[in-house]
Amino acid sequence: MSPCSRRLGAGVLAAGLIAPLPALSHAALIEAEAVQAIRLQALYDTGEPMAGAQVVIFAPGAPAEAWGRGSTDAEGRFVFVPGPEEGRWTVQVRQAGHGAMAHVETGAAAPVSVASAAAPGWADRAVTIALVAWGALGTALFAMRGRRRSDASS
Amino acid sequence: MHLPDGFVPVGLALAGYAGSGALTALALARLRRLPDPRAEVPRAAMLTTVFFAASALAIPVPPTTVHLMLAGLMGVLLGWFAMPAILVGLFLQAVLFGHGGLTTLGLNGLVFGLPAVLAMAVWRGIGRRWPDLGALVAGGGAVLLALALFAGIVLAGMPAALDAGVERAALGVFVLAHLPLVLAEGLIVLVLVRVLRRIEPGLLRHG
Repeated sequence: MSPCSRRLGAGVLAAGLIAPLPALSHAALIEAEAVQAIRLQALYDTGEPMAGAQVVIFAPGAPAEAWGRGSTDAEGRFVFVPGPEEGRWTVQVRQAGHGAMAHVETGAAAPVSVASAAAPGWADRAVTIALVAWGALGTALFAMRGRRRSDASS
Repeated sequence: MHLPDGFVPVGLALAGYAGSGALTALALARLRRLPDPRAEVPRAAMLTTVFFAASALAIPVPPTTVHLMLAGLMGVLLGWFAMPAILVGLFLQAVLFGHGGLTTLGLNGLVFGLPAVLAMAVWRGIGRRWPDLGALVAGGGAVLLALALFAGIVLAGMPAALDAGVERAALGVFVLAHLPLVLAEGLIVLVLVRVLRRIEPGLLRHG
């Protein structure tokens, strides 16, 4: 043993004698258990992940008080372990005024996964736009028909 | 650009409904004074579809994507008809696409409706003498005002549970990403006004 390390060892021993007992042991204890966690991914409806968005968690029965907070990673993912309260957990993901809320049930009869809303595909959107255009065309034609009739009667 | 449900305090949402209601009432009162209000309905109906569809088309502006707002276009082409048309469009966007919410319909109506009214005023004022400049300012100015209104509402309704600093920074990125839209929508209105003035000057009036 070199003189230097011996001196260091003596120093540690002296400190150990003076300091209170818990500091003596450098052993670590790990208690591990498997828990149920809630994992979510927040995406914009364009498919882009909500990266770095703020997450606010509300426990069942306490919608006014935030139970926990965090932020999503680059893929918009976030994982947390809910408390022992069973029921409907509400998770809000928000960025620059945009975002969504999801509700996750915990407890024995809870479903495995939920989604806040499914993003419509391109075909769905095209059909929706076509239907709205059809409605607008009908409105336009109705207004024009009524006008022609009033023109004819006047 | 659409405020979703559940993120805005109830008081602010109600104030939004009151503001949008007042603006719509004013618009309808002005429309009633027109000699033939019904003549504008076909154009308003078709442009409502365009406004509605615009929110479904995402334009990539790295690092994010933006949607066209078209509030300036609505104001220039529809005048006071823009307000009811925008409300109908926003309602359909909220129900069919999930863009925006029903509780925030009033606030979103103000975010898009006030810029449309501003665009109408600019078009009727500046556009009378300088049509190109009027179209550019109406289209671009509407985007700027909508961004300011959106950011103002988000800041005013910041919940205590949120880290305000992070949200403010995210809002800054959001506004920066939308700045190219100022020029884009100004140019859209400019091109449309030029085309319409050439092919059908009667469609574009200044008052």
